[in-house]
Amino acid sequence: MTDTVAAEGVGDATLDIPANPPRRALGLHRELSRVWSNDRGWRGQVTAVNHTTLGLRFMATALVFFAIGGVLAMLIRAQLATRQGAFLDTELYNQIFTMHGSIMMFLFAIPMLEGLGIYLLPKLLGTRDMAFPRLTALGYWCYLFGGLILLAALAAGVAPRDGWFMYTPLSSAEFSPGINADVWLLGVTFVEISALAAAVEITVTILRQRAPGMRLTQMPLFAWYMLGTAAMMLVGFPPLILASVLLEVERAFDWPFFDVARGGDPLLWQHLFWMFGHPEVYIIFLPAAGAISTILPALCRTSILGYGGIVAAILALVFLSFGLWVHHMFAIGIPHLALTFFSAASLAVAVPTAVQVFAWIGTMWKGRPELALPMLYILGFFLTFVMGGLTGVMLAVIPFNWQAHDTAFVTAHLHYVLIGGFVFPMLAAAAWWMPQITGRARIRGLGEVAFWVILIGFHGTFFVMHLTGLLGMPRRIDVYPDNPEWEVLNLTSSVFGFVMAIGLALFALDLVLQATMGQRAGRNPWRAPTLDWAMSLPAPTFNFASLPGPRQVAEAAPDRTALALARGEGLLPGAPRGQRELLVTTAADARPDHVAVLPGNTALPLVLSASIGAFVLLMLAGLYALAPVALVAVAALAWRWHRGLATLAAGGAMVAVAPRLALPVQPGRGRSLTHSGGVALLVADGTLFAALIFGVAFLHVVAPGWPPPPAAAETATGAVLLVALAVGLGVAALAAHVTEARQPAGRSLAGWAVLGLAGNGAALLALALLAGWVMDDPTAHARDALRGVLAGYVGLHALICALMAAFVLDQIRRGEVPTSGAPSGWRLWQDFATATGLVAVAVVLGTAAVA
Amino acid sequence: MLLLAGCGGPLSSLDPAGPAAGATAVLWWAMLIGAGVLTLMVLGLLAAGFGRPRPVREGRWTVGLGLWFSIAVLSALLAAGVWVGERLLPRGDAVVTVEAHARQWGWRFGHPDGRGGRIETDGTLHIPAGQPVDVIVTSADVIHSFWVPRLAGKIDAIPGRANRLRIEADTPGSFDGLCAEFCGLGHAGMRFRVIAHPPDDWPAVLETLGEETAE
Amino acid sequence: MTWLPRALIGPGLWAVGFALVYGLHGLGCALGWSTQEVAGMTLHRLAMVAAWVGTLLACVVVVMWLPGGPDPTRRLPRIGAWIGLGATIFTLLPLLVATSC
Ligand SMILES: [Cu+2]
Repeated sequence: MTDTVAAEGVGDATLDIPANPPRRALGLHRELSRVWSNDRGWRGQVTAVNHTTLGLRFMATALVFFAIGGVLAMLIRAQLATRQGAFLDTELYNQIFTMHGSIMMFLFAIPMLEGLGIYLLPKLLGTRDMAFPRLTALGYWCYLFGGLILLAALAAGVAPRDGWFMYTPLSSAEFSPGINADVWLLGVTFVEISALAAAVEITVTILRQRAPGMRLTQMPLFAWYMLGTAAMMLVGFPPLILASVLLEVERAFDWPFFDVARGGDPLLWQHLFWMFGHPEVYIIFLPAAGAISTILPALCRTSILGYGGIVAAILALVFLSFGLWVHHMFAIGIPHLALTFFSAASLAVAVPTAVQVFAWIGTMWKGRPELALPMLYILGFFLTFVMGGLTGVMLAVIPFNWQAHDTAFVTAHLHYVLIGGFVFPMLAAAAWWMPQITGRARIRGLGEVAFWVILIGFHGTFFVMHLTGLLGMPRRIDVYPDNPEWEVLNLTSSVFGFVMAIGLALFALDLVLQATMGQRAGRNPWRAPTLDWAMSLPAPTFNFASLPGPRQVAEAAPDRTALALARGEGLLPGAPRGQRELLVTTAADARPDHVAVLPGNTALPLVLSASIGAFVLLMLAGLYALAPVALVAVAALAWRWHRGLATLAAGGAMVAVAPRLALPVQPGRGRSLTHSGGVALLVADGTLFAALIFGVAFLHVVAPGWPPPPAAAETATGAVLLVALAVGLGVAALAAHVTEARQPAGRSLAGWAVLGLAGNGAALLALALLAGWVMDDPTAHARDALRGVLAGYVGLHALICALMAAFVLDQIRRGEVPTSGAPSGWRLWQDFATATGLVAVAVVLGTAAVA
Repeated sequence: MLLLAGCGGPLSSLDPAGPAAGATAVLWWAMLIGAGVLTLMVLGLLAAGFGRPRPVREGRWTVGLGLWFSIAVLSALLAAGVWVGERLLPRGDAVVTVEAHARQWGWRFGHPDGRGGRIETDGTLHIPAGQPVDVIVTSADVIHSFWVPRLAGKIDAIPGRANRLRIEADTPGSFDGLCAEFCGLGHAGMRFRVIAHPPDDWPAVLETLGEETAE
Repeated sequence: MTWLPRALIGPGLWAVGFALVYGLHGLGCALGWSTQEVAGMTLHRLAMVAAWVGTLLACVVVVMWLPGGPDPTRRLPRIGAWIGLGATIFTLLPLLVATSC
């Protein structure tokens, strides 16, 4: 947020911005298309960075994975239909339910909501693309390649088989030899790069690219929901990434983080996993709720009731959902008092959910609901999600949880919440936005039939499953020869499961028919009030020929707006400089701040994610010595990536946005989109570090097998090297600050950049000496393994900062520094690296002193 | 009656045979009724929403229903949950303490022989009926979970830890148990049995068990 | 624009207080504070209640410090503070009754 304070310096940015003179719409359209279109043919497929293309691609790919996950679900139901199901053997069954959960969570739900946000947000907020188009593409390729690795493992019969929650020690090397577990750890982490990428750019896009005049307190609720989602992803995913890295390191190099015999603790995995896993449910729910908050009022021909209450509810959910994770662990033997905190928090989270539900129902009372297809799905959502919410409340009650935990009751509950709270709203969203996406109207009838088949199939499958669980059927069993009393219930679930699958297939058929054979739809068939309908359909790659300003935002009349914008009466019309330009505004008030130039089509994201993929594959193959080579390629490509940014930034000129309003292009320091994105990414990085510190504290306090034997590392040499490490990082931070401060003057920077390089180099040298001569064998005890990980974390960041200092040096050499954002970027990262490095040194010294 | 008949079964938590499972089942039925009423209320409000527009007061919906009504319901539930939960805890007053040791994929149980030693059995746990029994649950390899649905809730068997669970059977009988935490290939078959003996027979039972295992 | 970060203060205080009490709970059980009596309750419970009350006071101070008013940029931070206060009361309320270790 700090960067916006400076933005108020743009004093002439009054919010009454005059209109540009009208031009010929067709000419503008052609001018923009030349600049914004994807490349032609197959080349266009690999170089596209446009948000419309990639948003649709995300969603289409997610649907394919949904279908695959659904087929796996049908296999599970077929196996469970009878007591002695001989359909699958246990090994295969375990792989299938593990993959069903993992695919639905990581390869369907999360990418689906990312795709929806990426496709919709720029249109809804009145801009032309996401903040970091190449990052969008990088995210997509990481998602696709990670997903393909998982699918390939499934096809080869070596898919993960330890459950989607991957509890240790079942998933550790001793009990899960083979690469099955590695496929999960590496593949899912690879996919998570796309989640972090999406979270960063969704945050920045919402905060910095809203149409001028669209204040934060007035923006469409969908954007509030996505802002909450993105913030949760930035904080929610790092614990899982850390856990996956630790477990992979344990499996590959035998560092005992979870091995109880050597000071580790399997419960550390559970804490880290559910610190991600519970917020994950709300990460999935919030965008769906955002879709409902958009569609419902429009279909009731009114405005949403309780906008402020809903924003407050989002705020409460974002925080509270991080205080529930232990309710997945009520049966692990934690003292009752600690359980009651999490029980109370799990109940408390129902309050903001209730606020939203009642605000939506009140909206229906306020308006006149129209029973169109999206409304049917919203009604399906209400029925299903309310029931799922109530069973969730039941599960928050500790004694009941002790009975129901790990039974089919929980399976029923989670499907009520996830299908009720995500799939039904997404089906409503599909019905709602398909005309926007395809420009075609729906073929009447089929969608309604699909709705009823899905609804009946769903409740037929999962309603009885509550009882199955209460009758004692545990999760994840493949046969139940001694329990005939479960058979009818299971058979019912299986039969209706297939009914539901047929319904979903009908729905997919409906989508295909609409996309290929539907009649042309009018511009705004639903008479919706939001900007996503203020464009010709299907949407052009640049969305708006000229960007909406305060007037268009205030009018909320997309039909009139569309015409004015197409004729160039809005802001920043066309692409007169032959580059992709959009407006960057201030975070709260959306005052015009500067014009950003976005990179165009490039295969760099594909190549970069392919080299990350090469690293993953080398790790999977056990070629640990070769894997770092792939990382060298990653670093080289990242260098090129930023070089591209630097060339774009070489402007600094003022351009006309509207009559009497000229704005600078890409101000380098502090206020740029890249800077905001860097802050968002460091929030995630900081959370990862905090989770690591939590791990250190947790093992020290809770794990059996402590204290370990005294460490050899705690010698005078070790202390001296730690001090050298701290001093090196401190000097580097000083150098980064001086470089940034002196950048406008542009003189004598090279010496400071060299000093920064040297400081980080000294830190790396100190770490190397510590690792080589002083530190204990990290395989001996969790304490030494944790110290190894801390050293690795600090070393990685010192290395990144050294590269950034070198990059600044390179820019000085090329004479690009006066307008470059690189010095402030380096300063930002160096501050973070130095701060975390000092904390790490303090933690090591502190724990040594306590012991 | 038909409903209750459908609730039976050797692993049914709705057919309790001990105080812990009994208290939890009461909690369940109360919550089910509450949830049913709330669902009907929401559906009723939804149905009433279809009609001509009418003036609505925002505060009634978001603050009245959303905030205060839900806080009232949830506070009652929290109190009930904590109160029942406290009553289920082991309090060190158990008459008998037994051990359940899990491994891939089976259970080994330890009983006091009354002379300071332990009697070990495979797959069957013996307890006296009508008396509180504490089970010390441990694991030799991966995480498992000890669950006898008709007697009490479950507790995990975690390597490196010894968890304590309070169970009690109201009357003598045989009760099925299983491993509830996914533990690999043999998970589905990781069953066991708890036999509750009349309290008067308990010393004799231990005597016989001791002789059987000594052979 | 300080109002958006300000809206995070209340829920943030809850997060800190909740984590603090949970951390004290784990630490106290590990260090055996639950066997030491101080002022009518165990040292363990005393430490947790102190952290709880401290968080509650901090929430109250924030509620009083933040200006009120109908403007959403003032209302949201204040609602945030109330969320923090309410969540802190509700989620840590069992501190008064449940068995500690
Ligand atoms: Cu088991």
